[in-house]
Amino acid sequence: MLDKPASALRLRERLLDSQRLMEETGCYDGITELTLRNQDPLKFETLHTKLRAYCVSAREMARRISASPGVREVGEMVVAIYTPEGDAIALSNGIMVHVHTMSRFIKWMIKKNYEENPRIREGDIFANNDAFIGTVQVPDVMDVVPIFHEGTLVGWAGAVCHELEAGGITPGGDVCLAQERFTEGLFVCAEKIGENDEIRRDYVIRCERNLRMPIYWVLDEKAKVASCIDMRESVKQLISEIGLDYWMKVSKEFIEEGRRAQLARTRQLTVPGIYRGHTFYGHVTAGKPGFQLLGDPDWLYNIPIEMEITTDGKITMDFEGTQPWGYHSMNCTPAGMDGGMFVTLTQHMNFEGLVNDGAWMATELKLPHGTWTNPDNEMVATATSWALLLPAYGVFQRLLSRSFIARGFVEEAFVGQVNSPMIEMGGESQYGTPFGMAHFECAAAGSGALAIKDGLDTAYVGWNPESDMGNIEVWEQSMPMVYIGRSIVPNSGGAGKYRGGCSFVSTWLINKTPHLRLHTSEHSSRVFDNGGTCGGYPAPTCQKHRAVRNSNIHELAARGEPLAHAPGIDPHMSDYEKNIGGDHVVVEGPYITSPHKEGDIFSHSYNGGGGYGDVLERDPIKTAWDVENGFLTREAADQVFGIVLKDDEDGYPKADIDATVTRRAAMRKERLAKAIPVADWIAAERGRVEKADFAPEVKKMYASAIKLSSRFTKDFSDFWNVDARSIFTPGAKP
Amino acid sequence: MTSYSKEVIRDLAAGQLPWPQTRRIMSAYKDDDRFFKMVAVYQDRVAWKDPILLPVSDHLFICQSGDERITRCECGHSFGDYRKNWKLNAAINVRNTEQSLREIYPNSDLPDPEWMEIREFICPQCGTLHEVEAAAPGYPIVHDFEPDLEGFYHEWLGKPLQGT
Repeated sequence: MLDKPASALRLRERLLDSQRLMEETGCYDGITELTLRNQDPLKFETLHTKLRAYCVSAREMARRISASPGVREVGEMVVAIYTPEGDAIALSNGIMVHVHTMSRFIKWMIKKNYEENPRIREGDIFANNDAFIGTVQVPDVMDVVPIFHEGTLVGWAGAVCHELEAGGITPGGDVCLAQERFTEGLFVCAEKIGENDEIRRDYVIRCERNLRMPIYWVLDEKAKVASCIDMRESVKQLISEIGLDYWMKVSKEFIEEGRRAQLARTRQLTVPGIYRGHTFYGHVTAGKPGFQLLGDPDWLYNIPIEMEITTDGKITMDFEGTQPWGYHSMNCTPAGMDGGMFVTLTQHMNFEGLVNDGAWMATELKLPHGTWTNPDNEMVATATSWALLLPAYGVFQRLLSRSFIARGFVEEAFVGQVNSPMIEMGGESQYGTPFGMAHFECAAAGSGALAIKDGLDTAYVGWNPESDMGNIEVWEQSMPMVYIGRSIVPNSGGAGKYRGGCSFVSTWLINKTPHLRLHTSEHSSRVFDNGGTCGGYPAPTCQKHRAVRNSNIHELAARGEPLAHAPGIDPHMSDYEKNIGGDHVVVEGPYITSPHKEGDIFSHSYNGGGGYGDVLERDPIKTAWDVENGFLTREAADQVFGIVLKDDEDGYPKADIDATVTRRAAMRKERLAKAIPVADWIAAERGRVEKADFAPEVKKMYASAIKLSSRFTKDFSDFWNVDARSIFTPGAKP
Repeated sequence: MTSYSKEVIRDLAAGQLPWPQTRRIMSAYKDDDRFFKMVAVYQDRVAWKDPILLPVSDHLFICQSGDERITRCECGHSFGDYRKNWKLNAAINVRNTEQSLREIYPNSDLPDPEWMEIREFICPQCGTLHEVEAAAPGYPIVHDFEPDLEGFYHEWLGKPLQGT
């Protein structure tokens, strides 16, 4: 028989007790005094630093076990140490979104009484990638191991890797064609996958039989288990030094300290009040092969967010008014929403002191039941949750930033994260073997601008603060495509006094394969899914895909003629069309089409971030540098920013300051001449609203929001002075 | 306690502080006297005398104007009571055609104007572009920020709010 914890209380009782104490005292686990911190603050801080060092060290070690370029190159991994009840005490860098999703996983097992069956004992390994239990999407596979000290369960060590292949209906990790759970791939639902520190052979066989590229998943499992064992042994050694009683108390004080620190930081950095913002996401799949007609093929989602900061420092985010879940891959579970909140907090507020689950406890998410944020159906797919999560938490970043600006901390204001559409692929590799993978260079999008400078170019994504696109040579080892271009996309940052960070575009020659399936996801082409702030514009929408089938690139190369290495700056005719022969293809939205083969060309653009401030205030000298280096075009400098550029003696762009001042004065006058009072615009637009004179997808969006939210209905009706229900849902019962 | 001179805060707000120095400020513990120092910097920037109570955007401030608290543009234009959405008293330019969107996105693929429009909220006096909304046609204008001024001053800053 298995050992059971020596504690008087079983784990489930301990968890319920901890929750009760939090409700009664308002403090984590009922800790109203930070006794150990007050007794010896240096020891307290030193111990947490040690725990963090255990985590960072374990993650770095594990990355070298992995075979996946996603983990090795891009760092798609995080590890953390938890209390027995599953609250994070300390964590590594990396994809920190999963620190709290793992917490949900551990709590789920405790609540389901895993102590009784399948039992929790030393050496056990539990794994999960079910988002309704606790992760974001199928490729985010997490492993946890219990930490025992002399028979007592004293904590957990956990690790997550983002897998590049999940065995779904389409290859890759973000299974873009998944429309319900059963097409998302291999599920591991809070399963005991190993005992005595060894992964079970039958589990490995299941992985090998159900994945297109099992080497990634299986070696990542070994990497995660190694990191967990490493952390576990370090914690056990620490406990032998400081004593079990001290450990049990200090590990919880760390979390309560983290909670208090988050509240204090909110009071220090922000202004109390109500903040509002929104973004949108548009999905276009009509006529594309593979999609089942389970819902509307083309749809538009609104994502409104109301954030309240109260004077006690609590931040509440409310998603009321957003859209219902759907038969697509972009739904999100509360675990995923929690994860989004956690990773955003770690970047913007919880970046010093004791970073742990305490920060999350100082916040609240209101996720309306039945919406994409909290589906009332656990059969829905969540394979590409990030498509909606990233835009949503980009709004959160803009709302937080407005509070930083109001408080005077302009250097912390940031226009926010953006979607970074991903390429997934599968078929026959360049070695003649079956393969499948997600290409993770998307982990290096452009960031939103800051309130004091331009955004980061090709260096930021919301889910992993250690953004990295990976080396070309490493990616080329893993897929039957070779790069013929990887370059900055001009104007891909939103315009503003400070522009958003620019993105990049890659162009590949498909190589040494007769069958390559290429798919993309997180691709909002019809609407902006990002935004600007304080007068800055959103970055462009997702760009269309451009491919050339049966290209003549080998003939061109043999003749030494110039090739096209990027789409260029003419939106009506790409450089591929100008320079390369073959069958040219332009595809809007997700790329779902017939397989490619050797000699074809494929290009894919990533997204830039939104801009900050009035474009007419942008620095002309910086703009000349941007034009010279390919971040802005001359057209944009002139027409968007009103900056007059001339060539210097070497032919490089140089700003003409006097001419710019004159031009901008004229543009400002022109701006005023074109604009009308908002009251006049509302009066004119109201007629269109009354007639619901909108595209079908827009009307459907309003109807859905009205059905789900009385607050949205009231706000809409009050604003336009109409009865929104009778316009968009005639005949429906109130 | 961390503290910076008013000149440093002024240059920081203007985006003119050298990056290494900015970086140090970002990495350091925050300066608790920042708010009033920043307000003083903004107060020097504007030509009008109404005391600034809260910055709310790059060139918009809530200020005490006689007995009223209003949202005022840096140029002096009043957008009215700070509790009301200032955008309703702004001028607007809506980009909802391919041609007008192309002016801002000359070299990129565009959103579908049937699905999305850009709304520019402009000061009717000086022409400053204060805010841009990207929204579906028909979407109500957003009231971005309703600060709890009383709570902020009394409970967080521990100072009386002017005019109370």
